[in-house]
Amino acid sequence: MAESFDYTTLLNVATEIGFDLLQNGAEIYRVEDSVRRIFVAYGILNSDVFTIPSCILVTINDEQGRPLTRIRRLTASTTNIMRIERYNSLCRQICRTQPDFAWIRSEIDSIDHSPCYSLLVQIFATALISFSFTLFYGGNLLDALVAFVCGFILKPIFYTMQKYNSNGFFNNIICSAVITVLAVLAYHFSIAGHYDKIIIGTLMNLVPGIAITNVMRDIIAGDLLSGTIKFIEALLVALGIALGAGLAITAMRLLAIL
Amino acid sequence: MVDLNFFKTLLFTFMACFGFCIVLHMHSPRQMIFACMGGVVGWAIYLLIAPWLQETVCYLIASVAVTLYSEAMARIFKEPVTGFLLIGVIPMVPGGPIYYTMEYCINGQTEKFVESFLRTFGIAGALAVGVLFVSSSMNLYRAVHASIQSRRS
Repeated sequence: MAESFDYTTLLNVATEIGFDLLQNGAEIYRVEDSVRRIFVAYGILNSDVFTIPSCILVTINDEQGRPLTRIRRLTASTTNIMRIERYNSLCRQICRTQPDFAWIRSEIDSIDHSPCYSLLVQIFATALISFSFTLFYGGNLLDALVAFVCGFILKPIFYTMQKYNSNGFFNNIICSAVITVLAVLAYHFSIAGHYDKIIIGTLMNLVPGIAITNVMRDIIAGDLLSGTIKFIEALLVALGIALGAGLAITAMRLLAIL
Repeated sequence: MVDLNFFKTLLFTFMACFGFCIVLHMHSPRQMIFACMGGVVGWAIYLLIAPWLQETVCYLIASVAVTLYSEAMARIFKEPVTGFLLIGVIPMVPGGPIYYTMEYCINGQTEKFVESFLRTFGIAGALAVGVLFVSSSMNLYRAVHASIQSRRS
């Protein structure tokens, strides 16, 4: 361990790692456990970490017993499996070797700036998901092709709205409505036969499968508060999707297009 | 049952899971393939048992299978189970039922709406319980194993 042991820097680095894990969609217990293990590795046994999906609080005592606390508020999180894995292995490495803080900082930086799939690749992936799920739910090839186009349009809309910090609930309503309108138009002009399959296939991109899984993983670990928050989130997403599609279909019926 | 359609559906499952691997930023190709196989295995099990058992039970069994598979893969790859599990359960997420619930609602078919609503909740619940069951058992096993190991040394 270094001679001049810097509690503040340790606190900052550990909180940073916890925050980044949370931001990239790690489970609550993984975040808390990682931070706690880092402190243990540097010989601080009584650290306290409290995390909910939108906030992380970390407290330790320095050598004079003065409490040091760091709070970081999280406004938007995504799911990035690659980063979760890399932070996880960084954490293991820290626990094994207790490296100096400058090295950890540079490592965090390199993970934060590691290349992700570009927006274009993600758009194609979204289109692929729509295409496959339309076939999966029993649509024919023509339906799937329309769904491919819908997916291609869905991702940029969703991305732009997220970028401008639009409300997630509203986001889902708009995206779902746009997809429904497109699918119904394709049906109206007899391009595709089953508009319902197209809508379902494309909306699978928004359906809260990840949220449902994460809820359970939080509840298993005993984080009931976080589980509840994420459960409400999942419900809101499902509600938003249903509301958007429902509004669009009702509107199309009023206009006598459907 | 096990006919061309069966394999076609599994192919579509694989493609959809692959798409999700990219959207969720999974990078290692080997890992991506095995994560997608999780989705395929889960759905294959669902399709195989679907003719005999009640729907919710089928989803429960399939979700148990996927979670077991994910835990095994996490051990083999020495990576967090999160990624494998997220991708694996994707085909079982009730997207179709959510849509039909909404459609019955705006059509004013109240009876069908309630039925479909409960069905959606049943599926999501079965999925969740399956994950809970296996993951909790694995955690318990790990804790017991670790305590035995530490007592020995």
